[in-house]
Amino acid sequence: MSANRVAAAAVIAVAAVLFALTFGFEKMPLGLSGGFGAEAFPRLVLGVVSGLAVLLFLAGPASEPPAPIAAMVYYTAASLLAFMALVPLVGMLGAMFLLLVGLGYLWGERRAWLLLLICASVMVVIWGVFVKGFAVQLPQGLWS
Amino acid sequence: MEAFIGGMGLLLDPKILLVVFAGTLIGIIVGALPGISGSTTTALLLPFTITMGPVPAIAFLGAIYCAANFGGSITAILVNSPGDPSASATAFDGYPMAVRGEAGRALGMSAVASAIGGIFSVVVLIFAAPLLARMAYSFGPPEYFALAVFGLSMVAMSGGDSAVKNLIAGAFGVMLATVGQDITTGVERYTFGIYSFTDGIEFIPVLIGLFALTELLEQASQLARRTAMARLGAVRLPSWADVRKCAKAISLSSVLGTFIGVLPALGATTAAMIAYVETKRWSSNKEEFGKGAIEGVAGPEAANNAAVGGAMVPTLALGIPGSGTTAIILAGLIVQGVRPGPHLFTEQPTLLYAVFSSMLLANLLYLVLGLGFAKLFARITQIPPQFLWPAVFVLSVIGAYAPNQAMAEVWVAIVFGFIGFFMRRFGFSPAPLVIGLVLGKLVEETLKQSLIIFDLSWSGFLGRPIALTLFALTALFLLAPWALQRLRARP
Repeated sequence: MSANRVAAAAVIAVAAVLFALTFGFEKMPLGLSGGFGAEAFPRLVLGVVSGLAVLLFLAGPASEPPAPIAAMVYYTAASLLAFMALVPLVGMLGAMFLLLVGLGYLWGERRAWLLLLICASVMVVIWGVFVKGFAVQLPQGLWS
Repeated sequence: MEAFIGGMGLLLDPKILLVVFAGTLIGIIVGALPGISGSTTTALLLPFTITMGPVPAIAFLGAIYCAANFGGSITAILVNSPGDPSASATAFDGYPMAVRGEAGRALGMSAVASAIGGIFSVVVLIFAAPLLARMAYSFGPPEYFALAVFGLSMVAMSGGDSAVKNLIAGAFGVMLATVGQDITTGVERYTFGIYSFTDGIEFIPVLIGLFALTELLEQASQLARRTAMARLGAVRLPSWADVRKCAKAISLSSVLGTFIGVLPALGATTAAMIAYVETKRWSSNKEEFGKGAIEGVAGPEAANNAAVGGAMVPTLALGIPGSGTTAIILAGLIVQGVRPGPHLFTEQPTLLYAVFSSMLLANLLYLVLGLGFAKLFARITQIPPQFLWPAVFVLSVIGAYAPNQAMAEVWVAIVFGFIGFFMRRFGFSPAPLVIGLVLGKLVEETLKQSLIIFDLSWSGFLGRPIALTLFALTALFLLAPWALQRLRARP
């Protein structure tokens, strides 16, 4: 199946799920909803989305299949998720430092002194501007 | 006139001067960095404007928007890799000029043409926006609904792979705006029990995810690509001969760019491309184009900067974003508690004129900075991606987290980063989704109000001539490209 048709099928599937979810919305008396309930507008938009997706599907295999995703994208995405997992443990500043070093290394920087120096400088700026300057209270992790 | 003088007077405020200067500087730098566009930066820096107050915040974002287009031309000319998509057409002739040792001449012309285009469009904005607002002042909910639908239909032409895909993305943006409590009944929709979704999905993490984090993942797939920078001599003001040669291109492109910018959802990139084609069409040196014609730099640069002021016309006068970046600026105004639209001209005219004057100042500032420091900006473009992009991620996390100090918002940003990445892979542009998200609430509110006015009868729209005209225009814009394609396909 062409990329356009895969995209169209995915859009229809998502629209179907969102449409089904509208049946779970709380029901309100007609007088309160003014005849146009909370579910009406999302259903209208999802109808338009589905119609457009059908058009896209029928338009056929116009687009080239996308190139395979580079392995580095997966590693980078995994790093972002690892960052989120690390925040409750080492706090946001700690997780940021680890991500800066880890992602920098992953993306090809092998001069450890330079990597550590730049990451430390970035962290000092973040701490100075946001924690001290704007008084943003960042998650502290297990140290809180 | 009082408001105009008041707005201009605000420029004497050192705080405003400082934010416009900072915005211009940041705009040039990020515009020059390949991958970080004006939209990405305005999305990324939007959370940090919350504490500034409406005038400095919008002046700051407006200055970034103005300067990023010019900044994009620096890398387009020196590296053949536009720092901002709107500078794509500049590379066609700018890079060949740089290769033959005329980078300074190309950058000088780019700075001058950009400033002329930008200033022209701000002057148009100053006069056209109040006129448009006056016209729209009598609009009721049915007219606003029709206008918002017209704005949404224009996303069909906002770039990306196909009109249908843009419309799908725009409609999904509208769907995102339905998350949270329904305005009339208070019923929760698509909140999945997540408390922070009750008031709807916040703009900021979505914007950060779709622009900054998506770009981070895109950059991860392009790490092997390295670009060579052309040698840059002194950047200088264009000679009198160059000015005479490019005068027609600059004037034509300034008008074209402003007009294209005014049309909802069509932005600087479309303006620059059309201006390049038209500059070539009306030039007496057609054969030089693509080989280093200075008019090929002047035309697109005047147009993409003229589109900035143009795009602000519907954004401020009607609350309908003229481009992806103005959708973010619109979100910035909403976050500040300001709802753009015709009433803004009577309720907060000083704010508007402060925005206009700060945009004028930004255009003058990047002319000076561009001519004086282009060499330095060009160096900044060489920051290795292994340092730049992890820092962008850290800034994105802080940006998503800080406004509500909630990790849920960081999750939203990351999820939308992944969504944006897959959207792009399948040819869906994120800009229509943002426009849909920003307009979604307006569409739903005005539709509900209209139906209440019409006693739930859709035929009530037939009795509203302005709404009908806007619906007809919507149909025309949606069907015209398809009909033209069919006509051309006929033997």
